[in-house]
Amino acid sequence: MTGPLPTSLERWHSVQQFVFHEAALLDGRDWDSWLDLFLPDAEYWMPYKWGQESPTDHVSLFYEDTTLLRMRIDRLKNDLSPLEWPPSRTNHHLSNLRIERDTGDRVTAAAYLIFIEYRREEQRLFSSRVTWELQATEETFRIAGKRVDLLNSDQETGHLRIAVPM
Amino acid sequence: MPENFSSLVERGRVSRRLYTDPAIFEEEQKRIFGRVWLWLGHESQLKNTGDFFTTRMGRDRIIVARHDDGKIHAFHNRCTHRGAEVCPKRAGNAEHFECPYHAWTFRTDGSLKTVPLRKGYDDGFDDRAAALALEPVARLDSYQGFIFGSHAADGDDLETYLGPDVRAAFDNFIDRSPDGTVEMTGGTTVQRYRGNWKLQIENSIDLLHPLILHHSAVDAADRVDHGGREPSIEWDTVKANGLSFSEWDQLQVAALPRGHCWMGGFLTKSIDEDAEKAVMDEDGWRALQAEYRDIMVDKHGEVRADEILGFNRHNTIVYPNLFVNSRLAQIRILHPTAANNTEQHGYIFRRGGAPEKMFEASVRMVNANNSPSSIVTSDDHEVFERIQESLEFGGSEWLDWSRGIDQERVTNGASTGVGTNEVAMRNQHRAWADYMADA
Repeated sequence: MTGPLPTSLERWHSVQQFVFHEAALLDGRDWDSWLDLFLPDAEYWMPYKWGQESPTDHVSLFYEDTTLLRMRIDRLKNDLSPLEWPPSRTNHHLSNLRIERDTGDRVTAAAYLIFIEYRREEQRLFSSRVTWELQATEETFRIAGKRVDLLNSDQETGHLRIAVPM
Repeated sequence: MPENFSSLVERGRVSRRLYTDPAIFEEEQKRIFGRVWLWLGHESQLKNTGDFFTTRMGRDRIIVARHDDGKIHAFHNRCTHRGAEVCPKRAGNAEHFECPYHAWTFRTDGSLKTVPLRKGYDDGFDDRAAALALEPVARLDSYQGFIFGSHAADGDDLETYLGPDVRAAFDNFIDRSPDGTVEMTGGTTVQRYRGNWKLQIENSIDLLHPLILHHSAVDAADRVDHGGREPSIEWDTVKANGLSFSEWDQLQVAALPRGHCWMGGFLTKSIDEDAEKAVMDEDGWRALQAEYRDIMVDKHGEVRADEILGFNRHNTIVYPNLFVNSRLAQIRILHPTAANNTEQHGYIFRRGGAPEKMFEASVRMVNANNSPSSIVTSDDHEVFERIQESLEFGGSEWLDWSRGIDQERVTNGASTGVGTNEVAMRNQHRAWADYMADA
């Protein structure tokens, strides 16, 4: 068991501020600004299998590049259909933020996420571990990859629809 | 006096109680799910002696295993002593199954192997031991490696139950593998919705709804800028729902004996048409299809290869709960757990001898279409839940299923109609009434 990666408070704070900002964009349904955080070749991945190693030889809950994410949020954003009405209200609760790797240009950060969604008379809760692959820019970061491991990803009785990305 | 359930289905309409009544659901479990052949899995899951997987038949938990006699056995995952689950794993290899409560052990054919402190039982125990085997599934059979079980000791054999049109879907499933084998692998997607199971089997053959219900997903697909590249297979899976009504009507729907049905294929029409206008990417869908066709032609010659690949169906639906798609190398099954709760489990297959990218395409398609995050089927499930809620409120007894009722064509025991004809759903309801009337 190795100890925590030595990291400066300033570095940790900058990563924390970035992921808090991302959460605020999602909860504010500011989808365009959220997607702007991603690099063009970034992937958003929510594995199905616990500890899944590859998104191409096993099914996933989400495995989307920015084109597919754009299609998803475009539907949520422009939708006049009653199917997405009322829109989800969500809260992203982030904790236990750690920097797992830091090369200066690239940072791997992980946190626990409790995602709470309220829609159509029902409140749902998902607990997960999120891993970000971040590209450092002059002022902040861009997302090179985001992985969300749900605690109950492979629950045998399945999941009800999950329309919004976490 | 048992109720005459068949009166709940009339020509062109059915009672809402088919979807809401818990007592009817219990009877369906006995009269339908307790009698038909239910799909359990595939022989590629049981390559070696001792290999096993656990699955469901209706609400029952079942173990399917390959015993040292080389044969496949299926039995309930419930200890005959006190009823505990004897196998908590979803798959694996075992010499025997041991109950965690009092350590009764069972062989991989389900027979009782040992009990602790044998001397505590009377002399007649050995005579009773055979009856203390894990309760076997009454009948077990395979077609093209697809394993089915039935709780009923009597009834049609599996081939008769499936019938020639459904068997053709399984035949084509295997024929599409260059080396004639498939392997079930790559995990399972499970979508749950709080609605009756019939809502899904009706929806899957309903070609009037896609353009309407899925319009917001299709609109989003229309707005995608592919940047000069070939569209992805996930995009096509969404876009394919945007065919016009006249295009849907060009597809054929066939309603078969015992409630089964199939529909003509429609996927990749969009990708093909769009790609004709754009470049063909080296690692895209069309290049992959060309590579795959070359392998099939090498194997079978041009005529036979085109015959196999020209088998253009989308879903073949085996009543009451199975969807077979040979083109996508995909199987889905419904497990109803209550009148208002249903799970849909999706499985994918790797085709032996086909390019590995074909399997990746199957993974991508099932992600896009049958993950709980799908922007297509989550629309279906949303509307199922709204139907279920409103049907449970009460009000009018009848739901209308009369579209195309005078335009069905009957040939060789099958009724066919244009894509938007509701002939296949009426056929499902007739099968329901037949099973439910004939106790």
